[in-house]
Order: sequence, then C-alpha cells, then structure tokens
Amino acid sequence: MTARNDPTALEERRALRLARMQAGLARRYRADTWFRWLGLGAVSLSAFVLVFLLVAMASNGWAGFHRSELKLTVPIRGMVQIDAERLAQPDPLGGLETAGLPAAVKAAANKAYGAGGSDLLADGAWRELGNKLVADPALLRSPQIDISLPASDELASAERGGKPALQATAQKLAREGKLLRAFDTGFLARADATSPQSVGIWGALKGSIMTMLITLILAFPVGVLSALYLEEYAGQNRWTDIIEISINNLAAVPSIIFGLLGLAVFLALFPNLRSAPLIGGMTLALMTMPVIVISGRNAIKAVPPSIRDAALAMGASPIQVVFHHVLPLALPGILTGTIIGMARALGETAPLLMIGMRAFVASAPSDFTSPSTVLPVQIFLWSDEIDRGFIERTSAAIVVLLAFLLLMNGVAIYLRNRFEKRW
Amino acid sequence: MNTSVQAADEATAPARSAFPEPVGPSKISARDVSVFYGEKRAIDNVSIEIPKSYVTAFIGPSGCGKSTFLRSLNRMNDTIANARFEGEILLDGVDIYRSTMDVVQLRARVGMVFQKPNPFPKSIYENIAYGPRIHGISGSKSELDGIVERSLQRAGLWDEVKDRLSESGTTLSGGQQQRLCIARAIAVDPEVILMDEPCSALDPIATARIEELIDDLRGRYAIVIVTHSMQQAARVSQRTAFFHLGKIVEYGTTSDIFTNPREERTKDYITGRYG
Repeated sequence: MTARNDPTALEERRALRLARMQAGLARRYRADTWFRWLGLGAVSLSAFVLVFLLVAMASNGWAGFHRSELKLTVPIRGMVQIDAERLAQPDPLGGLETAGLPAAVKAAANKAYGAGGSDLLADGAWRELGNKLVADPALLRSPQIDISLPASDELASAERGGKPALQATAQKLAREGKLLRAFDTGFLARADATSPQSVGIWGALKGSIMTMLITLILAFPVGVLSALYLEEYAGQNRWTDIIEISINNLAAVPSIIFGLLGLAVFLALFPNLRSAPLIGGMTLALMTMPVIVISGRNAIKAVPPSIRDAALAMGASPIQVVFHHVLPLALPGILTGTIIGMARALGETAPLLMIGMRAFVASAPSDFTSPSTVLPVQIFLWSDEIDRGFIERTSAAIVVLLAFLLLMNGVAIYLRNRFEKRW
Repeated sequence: MNTSVQAADEATAPARSAFPEPVGPSKISARDVSVFYGEKRAIDNVSIEIPKSYVTAFIGPSGCGKSTFLRSLNRMNDTIANARFEGEILLDGVDIYRSTMDVVQLRARVGMVFQKPNPFPKSIYENIAYGPRIHGISGSKSELDGIVERSLQRAGLWDEVKDRLSESGTTLSGGQQQRLCIARAIAVDPEVILMDEPCSALDPIATARIEELIDDLRGRYAIVIVTHSMQQAARVSQRTAFFHLGKIVEYGTTSDIFTNPREERTKDYITGRYG
C-alpha cells in the first residue's frame, strides 16, 4: 500500500489542507472587510467634500443675492415735470433724466443724509426709481415716494469693514434701519457692471444658454451620426483605425487648444463675431463631439446582436435596423455621454477666453452674434475684482452655474430614463 | 461528398422511402454550397433538396456547420464581415445569391427563429406588427390587428397574451418569448421558416409546446430546424440531414436515418458514440 492510498495519511493531508484553507479564509474575509471600509471611506470623503462645497457656496451665495439699500423719500409732484404719455414712448428713462429725476433723487439724499448724502447712493440709483415710474405712471401724481435705492459700493462695504471713514456712518444708518440688506431681485435680470451693487448674472446666464444651444445643435447630431457610421457601416481597416485613434486623442486635447483653434479658424473666418455665443458654441462643439462619439459607439456596441439579428431576419433594411432598434436602445447611453460632454463644455473657461468671451458686456446678448460672456468666465472675471462686494457676487454666480448645471443634467436624466428599455 | 449528392437524389425518389407520405416538390435546392469564414471552410460543397411541406432537421455535432448552412439559406451570413459564399441556393428555382436578389424581400419570404428568444424590447403587439409594417403588408389598423391576432393564434400564444398585448415582449417567459418570435416570423406569411436550435434555451415543457407548434405549422410553411437533440429531430421532422465537418454525411427520411442509417458515422452519432 502506497502512502497515497493510506487512509490515515489521507486524513492527515485533508486536515492539513483544511487548516491552510482556514487561515487563508480569514485573510480573504479580512481583505473583503478592508475593501468595504475603504470604499465607504472614499464615498464619505466625496460626499463630505460635496456637502462642504454646497454649504460654503450656498451661505456665501445667499449673501450674494442680497445688496445694501438705503431708504429714501423722494418728492415727485412738482419736482419731476413730465407727461405720463412720454413714459410710453421709447427711452422713457431718458425722458425722466431730462425732466430732472436724477437731480430730485440727489436732492432728496442730500436732504435726508446731510451734505454728500447723494454719494451714499450708487451711481444711477435713480434709474430704479425711474423704472418704477415707467411701470406705474400714476405714481407721477403722488407728492412723494418711499423707496429703497442701492447704496454706493463704499457704503455697502463699509458696513462690513471697508473704508474706516464710512464705517461709523454705515453703522449708524444700519442702527436707524435706514441702511438694510434686501433681496436683490434684479441680480437674475441684469448683466455685468462695474459696481458690485448693480451687477447681474442674467447676461452671463443667457450667454451660457445660447452657447450651450449652439454646442448641442452642432455636436449632438454630428457625434451621433459619426458613432453610428463608425459602428454600423464602416469596415474594419486602417482608415477607421486612424479615425478612431484621432477621435480618442481629440477627447483628450486640453481645452485651451480648442480655444486657439477657434481663434485661428472661426475668428479668422468671421472676424466680426468676436465674443459671440455662436463662435463660443462652435468651439465648444469641437470639444464635446469626441466625447459623444466615444460614448455613442460604446452604447451602440452594447446593443445585443440578437436584436439586430431579429430585425434583419424580419427583413428590415440596414437603416431600419439602425433607426427602429439600435438607436432607440443606444439612446440612453448616448445621452449619458452627451450629459458629460455638455457639463464639461458648460464649465469650460479657457477656450472661451481665447475667443474673446471675457469682454466686459454690460447687457445681455440679444442674439447669437452679439457679444456675450458665459457663467464660468463671469465667475473668473468677478473673482479677479478687488471690491469686497464681488466676493459674494462671485459665490452667487457659482450657485447660479451649479443650479443651471443641475437643471441641464436633470433634463437629460429624465430623457434618458424615458427612453430606457430593458431586454 | 458523393454520398450527399446521392442522398439528395434518393430523397426525391419517395418510393424508396419507408416514410408513408410522398416527399413532394422541393422548396429550396442547394447546389455545391461552400461557406468560408476567412480562410476556414465552414461548409464544404453541400448539396441538398429541402421539401416544400415538411419539416427538415439538420443534426450533427457542434461546429459541424449546420447553423452556418441554415443562415446561408436567408443570407444572414451576409452580416458577418469575413464570410464568403460559393455555389447556389435556389428558392423556387431562383438563385438567392444572384446580384439582383433583394435581400430584404428574401428575408420576408424566408423567416428565421433564433437559438435564444430575441423579442424586440417593445410591446407584444409591436413585436408582431413590426414585420407587416416595414413591408407595408397591412393596409389599415384593423387589418393589422387581424394579422397580430392570427399570428399569435397560430403560434398558440393568443390565449395567454390577448389581455396584455401592450406589455413588453420581454416580460414573457422564455418559452412564451420563443413562441412570440415564431409568431413574429409568421406574421409576414413567409414560405420558409428557419429555426436555429429553437428549444436549446427552454425547459422540457416549453420545448414540448414548441414541438407541437412546429407540427401544427407543417404543411403551411417549409420548416428547416437545426437541433442538437436527436430525439427532437426524430419527433418533429420528416427529413433529416446529418452534418459532419462541414459536409452532409447522410440525408434521408427521418425514419431511415434513425432506424436504418447507411453510413457508419451516422450510426455512431445517433447512437451517441461521438458528437
């Protein structure tokens, strides 16, 4: 009898093997636990960072949605000589200016807050009163109007430690309830300005929306069609290999290079469109398209071949197979890639700086060819400003950018879930 | 190779067969068919006559080329990039590989059911209506409704799904899905139905139902079925071809093949000695 078949030896060997396995088993479970804790740690860390970011932005941003206002009583009847009809005509504010409204506001401020009181108001504060009058011409007949007008930058920052000379004034006014922080409804309606008291985000937001529209219109169809062609029609040869490598490389090119491309090509072709959302959108579309192509190809590849077989065997032509079956099934994946690409494009600053979208634009763009800026560039510009008021405005702009991003992603995820099908 | 031609010749001589019914005219005649995948020859000079109103079974070990041959009968191999075809396949005397043949129309005439049930991820109704719709067969909504109902009835699925036609086809059980695929294939009223191991993913009960269904459909359509199960071939088919290494070793009536095979290799295979 050999040792191999000896029953006692066999038992011993089994026992030894079992003991070794047991030791290994404990190690395996330990590794499992470790891995789970590591993963949990990573998730908690990212959740913490996200919450910290959101809270910091929200608390700062909340202040950014407010501004300092000064209470004022402005006499109207007798001081501002203008017909109610004039307010219905073009440029009503110009009419009010000639009628002496700025002077009336100035006089009221000097009267209420002593000599130099008009300096406590922001430049052009009278325009807010003017807009109120335009909205309701009946107010022209009232003897006086109580209104809160934006305080000057100096007074606003003095309230929280600015110019020492003004600090006392600011504190006194605040105590008397004449200087107050009010929610700035105009922040979402105005465009860039030199004073943090009168800036708005609408100009940049509208610019971003327009730029994104151009990007989507250009990048989505081109990206999806390229992905479809490469997956469904193109053969496997050297040319398609070269194209595939090029597209993959394009997705990894630093964005500023695309900005240079936009500057060298698009602006050379259309020199009048500097700073226009059209050019910005074209530049960002170049950057977004490879992302859509790559994710689109993966999504198309993931459509089970059995569905293609089924459709072909039913006598569907290749284009019917693509549009009836492959594309609907691949759409959720394509949309995911599009979300990622568009989110990246929305947050992009560098290439837009190259094509002049960092200009100071004091009014919202009226169309795709008028000068404009976009949210991230606006944030960049404001964060560069010295005035204290801009810090809060920058946070508010970031909140707007994040909210827009969330909204955009929400729509895309909704669309994706609607199209999602299981097989 | 000689044998296969011989077998085909004998197949058209029903008097010799122990099979009680006459074999009738052929629907498909394959002549000297070879299929290559790149350099590899998957089908080697196969010739066969497939009768019009019977079930023909292809049996053979894995990789013997029976599925490849089946897929060449409706040119599904065209979709494989490096597949190459030689020879001719006549459907009602017309070569389906000639350049003027419309593949889309060919596939409407020669339907196919696959190994794994592959309903579209659409409603049951849409699954059936898809074929008639793309081929423009149905004129009106009521006509289409009629086609859907008839197809499901013929596939023995109507009673099970008539109340939930709008549910997704993928919510059905495996056996139901396969019957749905058969219903989908017969919705365009094909002349031939090719079945590529239609029961290999199903349990015995679902298999029995499909086999019953195949039996019901016989006569109306020429049916060609590839199967790994010799019992299944014996149960559902009237003609059987034994494939081995890309050639047809023996082709004859099913009862001959199973009770009285002429070739040693056929005998070895059906008695389970290899394969």
